Amino acid sequence: MAKKRESTDIQFAIIGSAGDGTIAAGDILKRAMAALGYKVIAFDIYPAEIRGFGKCISRVRVTTEQAYSLKRHSDVLVSLDDSYAIPHVGEVCDYGAVIYEASPIVRQPEGAHITAHIRPTQLPYGLNQREISERATSSARSRNIVILGYLAALYDIDPQAFRKVIAAKFRRKAPVVTTSNTAAFDAAYEVGKRVFKLDQGSLGEPVHADKGETATMMTGNGAIVRGCIDAGLDTFFGYPITPATTILERLAAELPKHGGRVLQTEDEISAISATIGAGYAGARAATATSGPGLALMAEMLGLGVMGEIPSVVFVSQRGGPSTGMPTKTEQSDLNMAVFGGAGDAQRIVLAPTNVDGCYRTAGKAFEMAEQYQTPVIVLMDLYLSNRYETVVPPAKNPFAPNLNKGMDARRGDGAYQRYQRADDHVSPRALPGDEAGMHTVTGLEHNEFGKPSDLPENHMAMSLKRHEKLKAALKHPDFTICKRFGDEGPVDVGILGWGSTFGEILEAMFAAQDEGLRCSAMKVVMLSPLPEQQIAAFMDDCGAVLVPELNYEGQLANLISGALGRPVTRLNRATGAPMQVEEILAEVRRLAQARAA
Amino acid sequence: MADATHNVIIGNGSAGNGAAITLRERDPDSRITIITMSSLPFYNRYDLPRVFRGCHDWREILVHPPEYYDDNRITLRRNSRVTDVDGRSRSITFAHNEVMHYDQLLVCAGGRGYLPEELSEYYGLMHGFHSFESATTTYRALPKGGTVIMLGGDMIGLDLARTLIDVGYRVMVLANEYTFWPHRIEADERAGFIAALQHMGLEVMDGVRPVAIEEGAAGKPARRVVFEGGDSVDGDVVIPFYGLVPTAEFMLGSGVDIERGLLVDPQLQTTDKHIWAAGDVCQIWSAADNEYRFYYGWTNVRQMGEVAARNVTGADEAFKGVGDERLHVGRDGHIQSPFWEY
Amino acid sequence: MTEPLKPVYLEDKLQQVRGDGHLRYRSRSLPTWCPGCGYFSVAEGVAVALNNLRVPLKDAVVVSGIGCASRFPFFMDTYGLHTLHGRTLPVATGVKVANEQLTVIAVGGDGDAFAIGGGHIPHAARRNVDITYMVFDNGVYGLTKGQTSPTSVYGFVTPSTPYESHDQPLNPLLMLLSYGASWVGQAYAGRPHHLSDMIAQAIAHRGFSYLHILSPCVTFDKTEMTYSNLDIRVRDLPADHEPTDRLAAMEQATRTAAPALGLFFREERPTLGDGFADIAERATHAPKKKAKAPSK
Repeated sequence: MAKKRESTDIQFAIIGSAGDGTIAAGDILKRAMAALGYKVIAFDIYPAEIRGFGKCISRVRVTTEQAYSLKRHSDVLVSLDDSYAIPHVGEVCDYGAVIYEASPIVRQPEGAHITAHIRPTQLPYGLNQREISERATSSARSRNIVILGYLAALYDIDPQAFRKVIAAKFRRKAPVVTTSNTAAFDAAYEVGKRVFKLDQGSLGEPVHADKGETATMMTGNGAIVRGCIDAGLDTFFGYPITPATTILERLAAELPKHGGRVLQTEDEISAISATIGAGYAGARAATATSGPGLALMAEMLGLGVMGEIPSVVFVSQRGGPSTGMPTKTEQSDLNMAVFGGAGDAQRIVLAPTNVDGCYRTAGKAFEMAEQYQTPVIVLMDLYLSNRYETVVPPAKNPFAPNLNKGMDARRGDGAYQRYQRADDHVSPRALPGDEAGMHTVTGLEHNEFGKPSDLPENHMAMSLKRHEKLKAALKHPDFTICKRFGDEGPVDVGILGWGSTFGEILEAMFAAQDEGLRCSAMKVVMLSPLPEQQIAAFMDDCGAVLVPELNYEGQLANLISGALGRPVTRLNRATGAPMQVEEILAEVRRLAQARAA
Repeated sequence: MADATHNVIIGNGSAGNGAAITLRERDPDSRITIITMSSLPFYNRYDLPRVFRGCHDWREILVHPPEYYDDNRITLRRNSRVTDVDGRSRSITFAHNEVMHYDQLLVCAGGRGYLPEELSEYYGLMHGFHSFESATTTYRALPKGGTVIMLGGDMIGLDLARTLIDVGYRVMVLANEYTFWPHRIEADERAGFIAALQHMGLEVMDGVRPVAIEEGAAGKPARRVVFEGGDSVDGDVVIPFYGLVPTAEFMLGSGVDIERGLLVDPQLQTTDKHIWAAGDVCQIWSAADNEYRFYYGWTNVRQMGEVAARNVTGADEAFKGVGDERLHVGRDGHIQSPFWEY
Repeated sequence: MTEPLKPVYLEDKLQQVRGDGHLRYRSRSLPTWCPGCGYFSVAEGVAVALNNLRVPLKDAVVVSGIGCASRFPFFMDTYGLHTLHGRTLPVATGVKVANEQLTVIAVGGDGDAFAIGGGHIPHAARRNVDITYMVFDNGVYGLTKGQTSPTSVYGFVTPSTPYESHDQPLNPLLMLLSYGASWVGQAYAGRPHHLSDMIAQAIAHRGFSYLHILSPCVTFDKTEMTYSNLDIRVRDLPADHEPTDRLAAMEQATRTAAPALGLFFREERPTLGDGFADIAERATHAPKKKAKAPSK
């Protein structure tokens, strides 16, 4: 089968009930597509309930060109449970396909079957999911695999890629699990081969295949874990909290293979405390949490700032305040990450915008924590933590193993000063075990020797030290602090964004350019200290500045307008769902028109 | 809208669509649902020969754009097969196990190709022409300039044959009593019509009786049709054209009278006052002939749908078929049929 | 910046007495405790114990929380970490996990330990992290000037309980014994030689050792946990007390009217560090049989 050399951009949405294997099906699909060399972005939505009921959605966007976000409209919707899928039929684009159970066992009232809701512009594909599964495996449980076989046939995707992923996925289970699932896949593949395709369904040739690159599928959290390992993380302390739990779990499995230690603590306070303790003792130490956990950690982060102890905190935001919406995404902990805690407690806050960025940011966070002797918060959100993207791992480890500014040899009795003055405001740090470097680190304000001191000039000088030293991080080597995309020079509309939303921002910017607007976008990765000069220079070029954020208050907008004293236009969505490209685009259009008028 | 009359039409062909738009015009507030087994919105069967003229995208063959259904507030249920109609509870059961209530039911399910029982075991080796999908599949199986063997050769097949000859294929008609269906051909007329087919470029073998269809030998065309007595012909695709039989089996438990099709009075009402029928699925009482009879062709079928819809909405109109149903040979020596008028 | 600031050195007087081995462990910072405070005995006891155990200064880390007792690290010439109120144990755990070579001593008062920090104690105990936790119990909040604490007697009158405290005091020894601490002992600031001996035993123990130190506050408690009261009330554990008998230890711990001094309980079981070694082994090699469950 000769595949067309044309670009592909197809998004699948698999929707079912918890227990239908919805997420597992999406997982196999995206891994198979990545293995074939396509670029993949995927994001699952699952209920807070543990199992048995609740809506699960797995969305997988497969492209040949680089994509930056999921699309609002899916090209293919697969229903494993019509009651959950019916409300999503509208997200299928014109001439997109809806695949569903053609022979439900249960008699149902009018409107309960998805065929009642498929638009005339959409293509219906009925499939006897249950029957095919039962015939192939004597059980209806492989319906989720059946749909994959059908999809592979319908879109002319190499079935061998799926079979490999299925075998890998079930390798820890009894061999019969792999054989029966493969049988279900093959049976459905044969059915799909005989189906009349209403549209030319083949995908374009994948891109990675040409370059011989080995791309892998990773979530944001998975990339964090990889970054931690490559950066030589020594100790990790964590407490389970959605959506950061998988960082703890994966590190628990992987880090010991690389000589590191992972401990599940009794709460988030203990997790950050142990992290600070380990950081004090010279380890590369980290913890991971979400907003509620970060709130508990605020006091100890203050000790990290005051004591100038390196540590890294990965924070995956979810809907707040309080317990909020644990399985929904939001960007509403920027204020807390940047400002939370007692006193003038500036620390470095980094917000990666995609999965590859999670990897680089994780590793660089350890470098910065060590080099500038400070806590570093890496701010993500559920959408970024859990979404999958294909990434090409770097050929060689890009992270420096040790950037600790060690103590000088003792220059005489009592001469070691933990907080000695220095041009870069970073003092040589003795570690327990260093001969003659004994000192006490304290959360009390202290002098150069680390001795408690509340003298007014000392507090002023030490406050200056703690803030000035972080400015060097704005020029940290090999790390993107902020970056402008799109049109150079003056533009009609500039979009400023951070975190996971930047994918949608980029897509909106490209769409605006396609419509003839002059548009550019800047991602701000370092939120503290804020790269004010670069942001100001960007804003100088923009007729209007739009700041789309997944929060109600406009926390980045507040940060920027507060720091620079300039107005911005806000676009805030606190829905628990990612921003829609179309929403941003509409606002860009509106701003451009208002400017033209 | 919850209390609105629910008019349900089974069948998304000429009759069903004629009925639907008439219902919409006459009763703006009613709910209208069209149920079809097809995956596609309405296209005309008479347009299917276009597939062999390069029309390979189903969107090009649609009578209305898909938005038409939304614009006219017609719910289209595709891929939906009705398995049962219960006249007492006025409900429809789908193969996918959904139950739907109706107030008035119009059965416009049409007919499907008839296949004599002795050939049914060779169904898998035959091609079809009953839908866009089957016509496209047939087209794809047919090499350039290839040979189509038509079994029987009803007027649907002969219509296709005109196109096939025109675009350079070979057409071989194995003629029998179904040839020229649904025209009733007098014995003395037959030779003249066969000669007209030959004049049109078709190869006709009259009086042969196919008994088997086989895969072609290596290096030969893909199919071989074996006759009684052992002779055979080779072709690339074999398509049966033995006329249509009404698609009415799902009505067997409904309580209405059925002979070969649903029996309706000239107002197209069945023996159940909530159930009406139009198109190839129904037999209409003809006082003149003193029997229930079928009326074929696009003009008849379309008109039946509209008449039934008007009667559902309060009219009392008798269906009158087009007068001339005769096959004849035109001045160009080609056969001409009123059933081809479209 | 302004002129460099002179550190607060201990008086020359103290330097003159250097030469005694254990005083190497004392920093030149002047303790801020009140004259007569029991904590002086503890500081002396720790210095003596570290000296006797030959722990190098560079390898000792004293971690504390907030409170009078938690000022302790400043007065030691070891590595020190003066953390937050109540967070001594998790920080100390982090230090130990990061570097097994270090001798980690966690210290704090009764409020730091059992009020704000109470949630961490069972977990440090059950993990058997190889550190020593010394709680200086004076039954009162000293640094904030005399409020009631979790170990204050019922009916204690303080500025925060002017109409008497209506809370029963906790029984720390009983708690630690039930939490699974692998070494539990009690000492008294009024018996400094016994105290330094117990500190040395606690540090030498492999695993989580808990030493409860009765240490009067001479400023804010003139009536209850005073030297004069405790001198009368304290007793030695019975000579036949068997420190591997957890139930016997618990029985002794319930007799709070006459606090017993000595080693209540001791057991040998895998430490947190042993656990990490096992995890590293399993993660990098073929699976082996399950680690044996610790004895209770």
